[in-house]
Amino acid sequence: MSVEARIDTLSDLGVEMVLDEIRPKAAKAPRRRPDAFQATSYVVITIFSLFCLIPLWMIVAGSFTDESELAAQGYSFWPAPFSLAAYQMLFTGTGLLNGYLASLFITVVGTALSLTCTASLAWVIARRLPGISRPLTIFAYIPMLFTGGLVPLYLLVTQVLQLSNSWFSVILPIMLAPFLIFVAVSFFRQLPEEILDSARIDGAGELRVFFQIVLPLSKPILAVLGLFYAVTYWNEWFMALLFISDPDKFPLQLILQNLISNVTNAASLPGASAAQAAAPVYQLRFAMTVLTIAPILFAYPFAQRYFVKGLTLGASKG
Amino acid sequence: MQRSTTATAPRRRRAASRGTIGLLLLALPGVIWFLVFAYGPMAGLVVAFKDFNVSDGIFGSPWNGLQNFVYFFSSGDAPRIVVNTILLNALFLAASMAAGLLLALMLNEIKGHVTRRFGQSVIFFPYFVSPIVISIILQAILAGVGGRGGMLNDFLNVFDLPQPNWYTTPGAWPWILTIVKVWQLGGYTSVIFLAAITSIPEEVYEAAALDGASRARMARSITTPLLLPTLGILIVLGVGRIFFGDFATIYAIVGDNGTLFPTTDVIDTYVFRSLRTVGDFGTTAAIGLFQSLVGFVFVTAAVLVQRRIDKEGSIL
Repeated sequence: MSVEARIDTLSDLGVEMVLDEIRPKAAKAPRRRPDAFQATSYVVITIFSLFCLIPLWMIVAGSFTDESELAAQGYSFWPAPFSLAAYQMLFTGTGLLNGYLASLFITVVGTALSLTCTASLAWVIARRLPGISRPLTIFAYIPMLFTGGLVPLYLLVTQVLQLSNSWFSVILPIMLAPFLIFVAVSFFRQLPEEILDSARIDGAGELRVFFQIVLPLSKPILAVLGLFYAVTYWNEWFMALLFISDPDKFPLQLILQNLISNVTNAASLPGASAAQAAAPVYQLRFAMTVLTIAPILFAYPFAQRYFVKGLTLGASKG
Repeated sequence: MQRSTTATAPRRRRAASRGTIGLLLLALPGVIWFLVFAYGPMAGLVVAFKDFNVSDGIFGSPWNGLQNFVYFFSSGDAPRIVVNTILLNALFLAASMAAGLLLALMLNEIKGHVTRRFGQSVIFFPYFVSPIVISIILQAILAGVGGRGGMLNDFLNVFDLPQPNWYTTPGAWPWILTIVKVWQLGGYTSVIFLAAITSIPEEVYEAAALDGASRARMARSITTPLLLPTLGILIVLGVGRIFFGDFATIYAIVGDNGTLFPTTDVIDTYVFRSLRTVGDFGTTAAIGLFQSLVGFVFVTAAVLVQRRIDKEGSIL
């Protein structure tokens, strides 16, 4: 009862918002003259936007600046003298390629698995089957309250499942987010019952209803869930840090982390030769950072609206 | 009458069970995942009561009662990391809520749809920057190339202010981490608040405008009070998670820099370090169990309080 009630509140709050744009109302209220508060708002938002952007821009600028200049003058807003040394190094080694391959595998395979399992489990919960849906709800809810913690997980992955050095050791432990399952449940419960009923009357089985009617109708929520999972996988490094020790299998985030911890040793980049050990360390680090966030940066303008929607959905649960 | 029900019931049940098998198949992968990766580790917590060694495995290792807990609580680290965890999380929560609320109120004043959208996108972006990247940015700002001093010290230099070596100054780190959190979560939180603002009826503002209220007055006397339930829920949920530090961000930034442990070491980073360096699974699991139990109390309390607010709150 309690858990169900909680999920219903979630759906009340969520789904209309998913379908709605965020359009603040107050901005449309009648206004007669430019207002001091409004002016302040413009200034503050501009400053905060710069606060958000400048650190990222410094990294980009630094990645194109000659290392000797970085050492002598520190960082500048404009890369001078301009240098592609770091990128040249990254693109000639195999380390970057391997890193991208690992990150792509983890993100693509992981997101596919996550989406499939999240949607199908959520649908069974959303169906309100007597004797099945409620126990499943509680079953998926308990892990949000209590977790086994790091050590048992570590033992499970390394000792029991023997997944060390496999990319699945990064994917599997974070494959399902209970919270996102409940987001999907709340969406599924808003689907028009008539369509589903008419399909059932026409003799469609449960599986067919799910694959041919529910999933196509749920594209918006699947996009939201997929994006959240994809970013999580792309940014995940902790699981890789725990379970992957073979440098050839490092995802990008772990390569980056190694570049930080071995400050003076560019040779730690997998695939770097001894000759490259005297390479531009800081410039290289920045270039690697740029290449790591580049996919998110490029996808962001297109995906941003979905994130905002998904976040709105989850608003009450954070 | 009675006969007709007995006649149709089995048929209906059969139809239902045929569909049910399909549905159970759908649920199966998820259920297996939960059993292995969520409930498996819970069972694995028995390690906390064992003198674990790899060759005997989880269930074969000898029991040692509460020895692991005694060891942890008498090590002297316990108070420090518990206090740090709660203090840092409280600081993060307060700062990101305040920033989010303020940003939402101000974003709401931006007139053009496109401009507002753009601003919102920009301040939301840091949420998608990974902890490792944040760590690299922070080093550029605070340490610079070869430790020559980062951007911040270059800036302080202009005004002849003292330029500390930040990575050996533990006292500054709770604040540095808080600024990082505001950078990371300010935009994210503001989007949640903006969504709540969307549901405030427009008439309220029209009435206020007729009464000659200024925009600042509307923000203070209408929008803010109506956002309180949302704020309440977010705070309650944040407090519920207060025992679980944001491991990734803190560890990515501080790493194994022992100088900063007095102010930045939280339960999660402590657990991870002891697992990696000491390899003492029993004690580490005991700390994890302690964290999960206290965390459970907090989360459950938070859920109960949240449901209360949910019922009363008019916005959510």
